[in-house]
Amino acid sequence: MSEASLIGLFVATVSFGALLYLAALGELLAEKAGILNLGVEGMMAIGAVTAFIAGVELKNPWAALVIAMVSGAALASVHGFFTVALGAEQVVSGLSLTILGLGLAAYLGKDYVGQPPGAELVPVQWSGLSDLPWVGPIIFKQAPIVYFALLMGIAVSLVLANTRLGLALRAAGESASSTDSAGHSVLGLRLGAVAAGGALAGASGAYLTLSITPQWAEGLTAGRGWIAVALVIFGAWRPGRVAWGALLFGGTLALKTRLQTFGVDFSPIILSMLPYILTLLILLVISVRSRKRPSPAPAGLGFAYRREER
Amino acid sequence: MMRRPRLDLRDQPLAGGQPLAFGIGLAVALFVGTLLLLGAGHDPLKIYSRMFEASLGDPDAWAVTLNRAVPLGLAGLAVAVAGSMGLWNIGAEGQIMAGAITASWVARIGGEWPGLILITAMLIAALGGGGLLALGPAVAKAKLGVNEIITTLMLNEVAIRLVQWLIHGPWKDPDAYNFPLAPMLPEQAHLPTLFSRAHGGILIAIGVIVISSVAVKYTAWGYELRIAGSSEATARYSGISLPQKILMVLVLSGGIAGLAGGVELTGTADRLTETLSNGFGFAGIIVAALALMRPSGVAVVAVLFGAVQIGGQSIQTLGVSSSVSTILQAFVLFGAIGAGVLSRYRILFEGETHATPEAVDK
Repeated sequence: MSEASLIGLFVATVSFGALLYLAALGELLAEKAGILNLGVEGMMAIGAVTAFIAGVELKNPWAALVIAMVSGAALASVHGFFTVALGAEQVVSGLSLTILGLGLAAYLGKDYVGQPPGAELVPVQWSGLSDLPWVGPIIFKQAPIVYFALLMGIAVSLVLANTRLGLALRAAGESASSTDSAGHSVLGLRLGAVAAGGALAGASGAYLTLSITPQWAEGLTAGRGWIAVALVIFGAWRPGRVAWGALLFGGTLALKTRLQTFGVDFSPIILSMLPYILTLLILLVISVRSRKRPSPAPAGLGFAYRREER
Repeated sequence: MMRRPRLDLRDQPLAGGQPLAFGIGLAVALFVGTLLLLGAGHDPLKIYSRMFEASLGDPDAWAVTLNRAVPLGLAGLAVAVAGSMGLWNIGAEGQIMAGAITASWVARIGGEWPGLILITAMLIAALGGGGLLALGPAVAKAKLGVNEIITTLMLNEVAIRLVQWLIHGPWKDPDAYNFPLAPMLPEQAHLPTLFSRAHGGILIAIGVIVISSVAVKYTAWGYELRIAGSSEATARYSGISLPQKILMVLVLSGGIAGLAGGVELTGTADRLTETLSNGFGFAGIIVAALALMRPSGVAVVAVLFGAVQIGGQSIQTLGVSSSVSTILQAFVLFGAIGAGVLSRYRILFEGETHATPEAVDK
């Protein structure tokens, strides 16, 4: 195992980690407000395809990123409308959103399959820092969206923990009726959280087509949206822990294609089961411990809220 | 000044609200589909008549639609059985795969057995395989209260990768020129056909759906199930053991989904593939939801939904992207979800009360 290939593994780990982190942060926001959104896979696909199309047409990667985030938020708002405004079943609406997102992405992107990218987000050079051994390539020579993911993680943590908005949002996820009594709009908070979550999932998808695999094909998201859903639980609904989980799960994605080059005789398919199995184990640990301390899951997660419910 | 709308719970759901909801969903989908088709330069009328012809136009079309309705209906039933107790089995997709794995395993060891015995053994194994995959989430939910939505969802991804691993590794057919393919099933492992291409799985599905509907609706067991689903407290006061019920219902639900995998394998597939389920488990959740989690309703919804899927596939030969049919399905769903909500609620504007003239008369 050469040094270069080991560095390559870590570079890819951080890169995949950021991809998963963006989508998981979005899911975390929605779940903190009490809305389970199982449409992550669909929102990522929409982000990926709109970013690619915008890149080809506008030749500007930043405009492409913004368009992907707006598209992700717009698609998420469909889920928001049905679950928050109408109080429909979140599970059913979320799964329908995945179907809608994957279908729309395939429809929009059918003329762009196999085309060369019009714009890419290339790795940033941090003058001297990028040339450092090991940390240079691994941390200081990543695509700009990796740093964006980090910034978003810090921002989400700070907003949730230290602002009135964050407090209100968490309250909407814990106890909607008391949040309502306190004079906050549960409807507005939840719709906003779901849309913001969609924007982050869209950014995650954009990272795929603007940087990781700069082209569009159906099925490009390859189930990574489900890993993002798992990550939120794995990280116990905390942005910091989710970040470490994202690196771990990103590591399994990075290792999957490299097992053979490392001469390890282990099935990459079995390795790709790991994130899900780890999440199941963590769930068990959480629930065994929650006999002594409260579960980290938002208490109102999954429940619709209506005023004057009879 | 604009008055803000709000939702008000109706005293009773609109009569016939759910069929109406499905109809509205279909209408919304047709409208959006028309726009999509016009946008892509197709003639919507021609496309829609082709969809109808290919799914419900003649006995051959009905056969294909009914074959598709079998896995959709069984997966829907699996979700609905869990749903009658207020549990969400999101893992039907993985349980279908698990059922297909165990059924394939039986076919591997029983290649010389006579057809009836082999198929019966395969279907029983499928039932067991699906139940086995649901056992973990069932125990975790019953004993520790772990949310079954997430555990069953995670196991989908595990089961699909298990199939991939099997056909890339231990079960790879040595005669398949190094392609990752499982060997073909023995000839006698295929379900007999009823008419055209319709296979005997249709009768199995109808049988299982009827038995489950009767069990949930008319037996003491089903009554306890529905009580446990409507109120935990009531169930506890009436002496119903919740953990035991949860365990049984989730494993049964997994078993029914596993059976769907076994029937699909013996009915329409030649061998175990990673696309055997192809989203049937997720579609089953939608079928169950449209049937309001009533086992008796899943058959009709499954046939209608199967027709939408088969019709959608047929128009690919006219040059329409398969994504149009995916989008149409999604709009049927959202249209139906929205209409379903409105059949239980009505929209009132600020200042109005829910008192209707009829209510005042009472």
